[in-house]
Amino acid sequence: MHELLPLAISFDFFNGADFWVGVGVLAGIYTVLTLGLQLNVGFTGIQNFGQIGFAAIGAYVMALLVSDADWSFWLAIPVAIGFAVCVAVVLGVITLRLRADFFAIATIAFSEIVRYIAQNARGLTHGNQGVQDYVATWRSFSRDVRHDVLDGIGMGGVEFNQMPLLIVTWIAALLLLLLLRHLTKSPWGRVLRAIREDEDAARAMGKNTLRFKLQSLGIAAAVGAFAGILLALQTPNVAPDNYLPLYTFIGYAVLILGGLTSWWGVAVGALIVQFVLEATRLIDFGLTESQTSSMRFIIVGLVIILLVAFRPQGVFGKREEMVLGD
Amino acid sequence: MTDPTPDEAPIATAELPDAIPRVGPTPAAGDLPPGAGGAVLLQVTDVVKHFRGIRAVDGATFAVREGTVTSLIGPNGAGKSSLFNAVTGFYPPDRGAVTFAGRSIFRKPPYAVARAGIARTFQLTRALTAMPVIDNMLLAAPHQRGESLAGALFPFGTRAREKQLREQALELLALFRLDTKADDYAGTLSGGQRKLLEFARALMTEPRMVLLDEPMAGVNPTLGRELMAYMQRLRTERGMTFLFVEHDLEAVMANSDQVVVMAQGRVIADGTPDEVRRDQRVIDAYLGGAGG
Amino acid sequence: MSEVVATAGAPVADVDEDRRLRDRPLLITAAVLVAVSLALVLGEGLHAWGQASVNGLVSGSYVALGAVGLTLVYGTLKLTNFAHGDMLTFGAYAALLGKVTLGLPFVVAVAFGMLVSAVLGLLFELGMWRPMRRKGAGAFQLMLMSLGLAFVLRYGIQFVAGTENKNYGIDTTAVVTILDLRLARVELVVMIVGVVLILATAIILARTTLGRQMRALSDNSSLAETTGIDTGRIVSVTWLFAAGVAGLAGVLAAMAANSFTPEFGFRLLLSLFAAVILGGIGNAYGALVGGLLIGLVQEWSTLLVDANWKIAIGFSVLIIMLIVRPQGIFGTAGRV
Repeated sequence: MHELLPLAISFDFFNGADFWVGVGVLAGIYTVLTLGLQLNVGFTGIQNFGQIGFAAIGAYVMALLVSDADWSFWLAIPVAIGFAVCVAVVLGVITLRLRADFFAIATIAFSEIVRYIAQNARGLTHGNQGVQDYVATWRSFSRDVRHDVLDGIGMGGVEFNQMPLLIVTWIAALLLLLLLRHLTKSPWGRVLRAIREDEDAARAMGKNTLRFKLQSLGIAAAVGAFAGILLALQTPNVAPDNYLPLYTFIGYAVLILGGLTSWWGVAVGALIVQFVLEATRLIDFGLTESQTSSMRFIIVGLVIILLVAFRPQGVFGKREEMVLGD
Repeated sequence: MTDPTPDEAPIATAELPDAIPRVGPTPAAGDLPPGAGGAVLLQVTDVVKHFRGIRAVDGATFAVREGTVTSLIGPNGAGKSSLFNAVTGFYPPDRGAVTFAGRSIFRKPPYAVARAGIARTFQLTRALTAMPVIDNMLLAAPHQRGESLAGALFPFGTRAREKQLREQALELLALFRLDTKADDYAGTLSGGQRKLLEFARALMTEPRMVLLDEPMAGVNPTLGRELMAYMQRLRTERGMTFLFVEHDLEAVMANSDQVVVMAQGRVIADGTPDEVRRDQRVIDAYLGGAGG
Repeated sequence: MSEVVATAGAPVADVDEDRRLRDRPLLITAAVLVAVSLALVLGEGLHAWGQASVNGLVSGSYVALGAVGLTLVYGTLKLTNFAHGDMLTFGAYAALLGKVTLGLPFVVAVAFGMLVSAVLGLLFELGMWRPMRRKGAGAFQLMLMSLGLAFVLRYGIQFVAGTENKNYGIDTTAVVTILDLRLARVELVVMIVGVVLILATAIILARTTLGRQMRALSDNSSLAETTGIDTGRIVSVTWLFAAGVAGLAGVLAAMAANSFTPEFGFRLLLSLFAAVILGGIGNAYGALVGGLLIGLVQEWSTLLVDANWKIAIGFSVLIIMLIVRPQGIFGTAGRV
């Protein structure tokens, strides 16, 4: 133990550039994924636990359209997102009338069904092998950005391989964040918040609450599908194990950390959680690899428990708008 | 944080704000006997509602004329609130017919009933506590293009409506002495203030008819009297129609043009306060029933 | 809404209708089971159906036992406990610890695993759930905390035991043949023990005072309070019972699979929820029956589609049930 602290940090920031860029990309992807959760959970009060299922749908539809149907990558993206929205609407019509806890369970089941389809409908999805042949367009785009833009600022090297993805991810994340923030400040957002608080009161005021909830879920699905596509560019492999319910749950950790109803909190929460999950790889605790990885998730679990118990509004949430606790 | 005290300017005599539109054919003074009302606005016919095999509403029939105040009374468990919820679509009725202004609202979802012109309050106040008071009000307003996704995305042109609604809301809030609280979270209001907010919010929906579920419950007597007086003025000056469930029989008898009495899921009497007071079935229901 | 309370005491009870509503789904369920069985016997043969059914009873027995605690905790505390699956894992690993590290005979090790799980369940109640309820925490808040607890449990187990596959070192090659149905001896043991335990659980719930009080509290907590049950004590007992039986279910599941990792309980969680919802959430007997049904449905599905789909089929049953009859087979409409 005595030699743990001073020697613990064994990374060198500059040599580890590719690593840190990777962490940044994942944090950006988590921001996008969790923006959808924020809209659902923080602003509409619908407990969507199937967010990773939408990411899976987005990634698979995009990847399969490009690799197996020879579609253009750029065209496949909106189609994949649109498909995820359609699935969300169908899912929502079926499940949004359920009680909150049943809806939560039903959405986890949905995301697991998506994953099992990805795993088992091998003829369509290539099973556990996953899909790989969809990155060519992105690679050439990424290479162009590196040569034309990043080279000039000394970031053209191999270690900055994912730099274009980092930039695209975070620009998209920030634009989406601002867009959703704009939307939720509107009268539309006001109705969502009313539904979160008391759906019956909103209905008594003439609001077709199902319609608003469907819109909320549909937007979350679109954002989730986009996150899935970004993840597909990061890995770059679309395989069932990238879409475990675990990742939705990590999204919830991000959400709670940043604070329900705080849009900026999503980005900050994603950065912190990714840092805890990834940066701890570089710290030598004198543990086995399995123990280190376990410890990361134990920390995430403890953070969730302690925040929900003692600071349910999260780091940035407003106490008055506390969604948790009655 | 305290309930408004009686020595503040009473609501009942304040000027009615222009925010409240004229919705019914107001009888000119002396034209009609007070409370006679206009045509039938709400017609409830043979409505049945089961809960887990229990007939909460067992074939209720009554009518409410436009521009009148009607109250719905009966012992606990008589089915008053169930009927309320059946009419407003919260518990879709199993059988029967409900028409409002000549159109069927039978088994229509609550939002459609609200849009047809029926506003309601709840037995336990449903103020949206984690939203500012003003947002509670704005939310209730109809015809907001900003509530569509397109309007939210491109708010040009929705701002004028928002501004107009805000003025309308502040006017109403001022009437209920809540204007100073407009930007506070509704959760900071006292119980009585929440009741007022709910009433004001119901008016924001520009209703033709307001259904009040126990408006006097949990309100201090002064405030309760004021609410009743205010209701009377909205009826006489704006032609608004009211139906309310209430246990305070004194308030019911003093304020209603018509009293509908329910027991065991059925309407057992229907008439003016005087008629109902003398009705033997009503006396039996109250004395021999589950207790009032 | 408050309305249900207001009308519950209404004297106008239509008892016949109530009974009819409640009995019909049971009949329908039975009819569907018989029809599906007949179709499978005719289409796939008696032997294939029998084999699948036996396999279904094996997995159904541990799903049922896992689900009963989940449903009781939900019914009693309105807690959707995402950590319940990991309690199964905990039981399995605790038994492993008993057998391998402490060198206990297997049966004693299983009892040890069950006991340790029960105590852990109680500790969570006393250290976490009860204080949170006192603070007035909402259902969603508790649900999220159970999510965090699930992480801590699962990865705590992984921290100690590692990610490698474990087993109890039981001979799994031995096969028993009964009525021409082949079954690993372990599976037979799991099935027999599982069914016996299900019956024992049902008897405990039906016949003992504590069991009746647990069910009463799970069914209607306000009712139980007004009838003077010491709710704090019953809640503690419910946790001991739920967690203990979950630990046992975990051992059975681990035995049947013969190889387990710290994730296995969580992977079972949705099947447990499926069983709970099938039987009507909060209904202990419902969960037992629901568990067996989920096991049967999953195994029967292997007669028609690739076995890889069987878990997804279980989840589909969950979603279909939520659409068609969210109150479950035994539930009444008013509760949902």
